[in-house]
Amino acid sequence: MSRIRIKIAGESGAGLLSAGEIVTRALKNMGFYIVADREYPSLIKAICGSCFRINASTEEIFSLDEEIDIMLTINRSSMYEYFDDLKKGSVWVHGYERLSGINDLLKKAEKRGVREVHSYAREIAFANGGSILMINMVLIGMLWKAMGFEYKYIASEVKEQFKSKPVLLAIDLKCLKAGYDSAEKQLEFAKPKKKTKTILLNGNKALALGGIHAGVRAYFAYPMSPSSSILTYFANYARKTGCVVKQAEDEITVANMTLGAMHMGTRALAATSGGGFDLMTETVSLAGIIETPLVLIIAQRPGPGTGLPTWTAQGDLNLAIFSSHGEFPKVVIAVSNPTDCFDLIQHALNIAEKYQCVVIVLTEKVIAETNSTVPPFKQKKIPIERGLVTGKALQKLKNSDRYKITKNGISKRWLPGKSKAYYFANGDEHWEDGSLTEEAKESGEMYAKRVRKIETIRKALPEPEIIGPKKAKISFVGWGNSKNVMLDIVQKNKDVNYLHFNYVWPLRENLLKKFFANNKNVNLIECNATGQFGSLVEAAVHQKFKKKLLKANGRPFFTEDVENFIKKNK
Amino acid sequence: MKNTTLGKLEKKSRQYEDYETDKIITWCSNCGNYSIQNALKRAFVLEGYKPNDFLLCYDVGCSGNGSDKIEANTVHGLHGRVLSLAAGAGIANSKMKIIAEAGDGATFSEGVNHLVHAVRNNYPIMFIFHNNENYGLTTGQASALTRVGTKMNAAPEGVNVEPLNACDFVLSLKPSFVARSYSGDPDHITEMLRKGLKHKGFAFIEIFQACPTYNRETPDHWFAQRVKDIKDLKKYDKSDIWQARKIIQDLENEIYIGHIYEDKNRKSFAEVQDHRKGVKTVLRDEVKHYDINNLI
Repeated sequence: MSRIRIKIAGESGAGLLSAGEIVTRALKNMGFYIVADREYPSLIKAICGSCFRINASTEEIFSLDEEIDIMLTINRSSMYEYFDDLKKGSVWVHGYERLSGINDLLKKAEKRGVREVHSYAREIAFANGGSILMINMVLIGMLWKAMGFEYKYIASEVKEQFKSKPVLLAIDLKCLKAGYDSAEKQLEFAKPKKKTKTILLNGNKALALGGIHAGVRAYFAYPMSPSSSILTYFANYARKTGCVVKQAEDEITVANMTLGAMHMGTRALAATSGGGFDLMTETVSLAGIIETPLVLIIAQRPGPGTGLPTWTAQGDLNLAIFSSHGEFPKVVIAVSNPTDCFDLIQHALNIAEKYQCVVIVLTEKVIAETNSTVPPFKQKKIPIERGLVTGKALQKLKNSDRYKITKNGISKRWLPGKSKAYYFANGDEHWEDGSLTEEAKESGEMYAKRVRKIETIRKALPEPEIIGPKKAKISFVGWGNSKNVMLDIVQKNKDVNYLHFNYVWPLRENLLKKFFANNKNVNLIECNATGQFGSLVEAAVHQKFKKKLLKANGRPFFTEDVENFIKKNK
Repeated sequence: MKNTTLGKLEKKSRQYEDYETDKIITWCSNCGNYSIQNALKRAFVLEGYKPNDFLLCYDVGCSGNGSDKIEANTVHGLHGRVLSLAAGAGIANSKMKIIAEAGDGATFSEGVNHLVHAVRNNYPIMFIFHNNENYGLTTGQASALTRVGTKMNAAPEGVNVEPLNACDFVLSLKPSFVARSYSGDPDHITEMLRKGLKHKGFAFIEIFQACPTYNRETPDHWFAQRVKDIKDLKKYDKSDIWQARKIIQDLENEIYIGHIYEDKNRKSFAEVQDHRKGVKTVLRDEVKHYDINNLI
C-alpha cells in the first residue's frame, strides 16, 4: 500500500490535537507526503467526537480518501461515533478498559473482519509513572507499532513536542515505548526511500506568510472561523515582523481600517468568513469608487446564517463576485493549497495596487486548516508591484491626474503627502481631481472609466490551468479545493482531465471555450448546492455541463466522491 | 468678544488662501459648517501646518459635503464609518495628522460603536463632531441628540425619546481629550482645534452647529445667550473627569464650552505598540519583501 489513511478520533480538548500533530510530523519527518485535516464541531469542549484525518504517501498526494486503513479511538464516545468507518481488514486501535461495556462493538468488529489492537492503556500509563494525561502516549505508541514503523521516528517527535518539560518528557517516552511494545504490527506500508525536501503547513499560515513576505505591514480582523488563525499567526509573528496587528470591534471597522491604511500607502490585509464579509460589502463599494486598492480574504464555511462554523464549503463565490452596490471592477482569486496561498496572496496585493481595485481571495475551511507537505516557498519570486507614481514624476503631477479619464480606465495613483498635487478620494461621484459632480456627462464618463478597468484586468489575468491531458474521456471544471482532489484523480486516471481556475473573476474565456470544444464530456465539480461557478461558465461558453458533481454537507470532496462519479458517467 | 486669532492670521493670509476653494459651496446660508471649516483652516495656518502634513477624513452628511471644498488631501468615506477609516490611515502613516469629521447621525446612531473603540484605543485622530441636533442632508429627521418635543421630519408629534449628551457619553469612556465649542464663535473653535491638533491621541471636539433649515430650536444666538467658557471659572481642573462630567450636563441654561478634559498620562495607540518601540519609519514606507524563513 502506498497511501496510509489514518483517523484519530477523540474529544476536542482531550489531547486529540497534540496526538494528531505528533503523528503527522513523525510521518512527515520520515519523508512521507502528507495531507492532514481536522474535523470538529463548533464547541470548545466537545460533547460529540472530533477527529484527525491523516493521509500519508511515498508519492505526492493532495487530498484525502474517505476510507481509512487504521483508526485510533481515544475515548468511548468516539468509538461509537466513528465505528462504521472501520471496514473489513482495517485496524482498530484502542485502549479501553471495561471491555464488557463495549461488547457490542467488539462483536461487530469480529464479524466485520476488523483487526483489533488493544492494550489496557491506563494501566500501562500508570505502571510507567504516568497520569491520565499520558494515556495518549501509550495509544500513540500502539498506533505506531500497528502501522509497522520503527520506534525512533515517533520518539523523536514526542521529544520535540515536550522538550521544554524534561521531567514529564521522560515519563512520556516510557509510556510511549510501553504502548509500542504492547502492540503487534498489523500493516505493511511502503516507506519513503529518501527524505523529500518539503515543509508542512496549513493554508492560513501560508496566507499569513505570503502577506508578510509581500510587505503587509498592518493586519486587521474580527475573529471568525475558519479565518481566525490568520489573525493568530500575524499576532504571534508581530514581534519579529514589526507589523501592526489590530483585532477591531467588528468587520465594518476591519474593512474601513484596512482601506484607510491602504489609502495612506502601506499594504494592509484582512480576513473573515462569509457572515463577516456581509458586513464589509459597503466598504468594498467605497473602495470601488475611490479606486483605493483593497484585499480581503473570505475563508468559506457553510451558511446561511451561522451555518456550520467549523466545516467546509464553496458557497460564497456569488457573494464575493456580486455583493456590494453599484458596478465596479472586482477581482476574485481562489486558493487551493499552501503553495497557492503563499503565491496568490502576493499576486492579489499586486493586482489590487496596479489596477486600483478590490481583490477578494477565497479560501475554504478545508484549505485553511489542512496541513500538507509542499515544496519550500520560493521567496522574492513575485516582485512587489505597486503601480504608484514615484520619484521625480511626483513633482509633475496635477490634481486631476488622480482620476483622469483614460482608455484602459487606469489613472495615476500616488500616496497622500508625496506630491504637491493632492486629491479628493470622494465616495460621491466625482470628476478627475475628485471634486463632486452630478453632471450627466462627467458622471457618465467617470462611471465608464471605472467599468473599463474590468476588461483591462480580464486581459491581464492568467488563463486557467489544464491538469492532465488536453483531451480526455471525462473532464471537469472547477476552482478552489477541487484542484486537490482532481490532482489525485488525474494522477491515477489517464483519461481524466481537469480545468482549474485560480483567477475566478473576471472570468477568462479563451482556454475555457477551447476546453469545451476539445472535450465532449465536461462536468462541473463544485462544493456547493447550486453550482455557482458552473452558472458563470455556462453563461460564458453558451453550453451546458454534462453533469454537475456537487456537495453541500460541510464535508470536502474525497477521492471516492469523484471516483464514483467517474464510474457512473464515463 | 475680542477676536484673538485674526491679527495673527494677517501675516499668513497667503497660507490661509491656499486652502480656499473656488468651487460653489453647497451648504445653506448661515450653516454652521462655514465657520467650522474656516476655523479649521485658521488652526492649520496658526499651528504651522502645510497642506501635506495632514489628511482630512469626512463622513457622509452636510459636514461631509465639505470634503472637496478645502484644498487639501481628503477622503470622503461611508456614513458612520469615518473613525475606522481615519484610524487605519493614522496607523499607516503616523507622521501625518489625521482629522476626522462627522455629524450627530453618523456618530451617535450609525457608527456609535466606532466612537467607543476610537476613544478606548486612543487612535491618533482629531475628531470634529458636528452636532446640529438633526439629520440635515436627509431633510431634517431627528437624531439621537434631538431634544424631546421637537417636531421633525418623520416625527410629526415631536421627538418622544430623551436625547444623549455627547460629551457625557464620551467622558464615560475615559477619553484623553474633550473640548466643546459652538459655530457662532469661530474664534473659539479655532482655539479648540489648535489644542486638538497638538494632542497625540484621540481628541473629541464637539461643536454645537447651527442648522438654519432644520433646527430652528437652537440656532447660534440661542447658544450665544447660554454658553459659558470654562476658562472663566475660578476653580476648574481639566484633569478632573468628575468635575468635567458634572459641568457638561446642562444643555439648557448654562452650557459650558472650552477645553473640558485632558488626560496627559493616557498613552496613544501608537505608544502601546511595544513591539515597534524605537522604529523610526512609518508603515507606509516599510513595504518591501520580508524574509519569512524565521517564521516557518
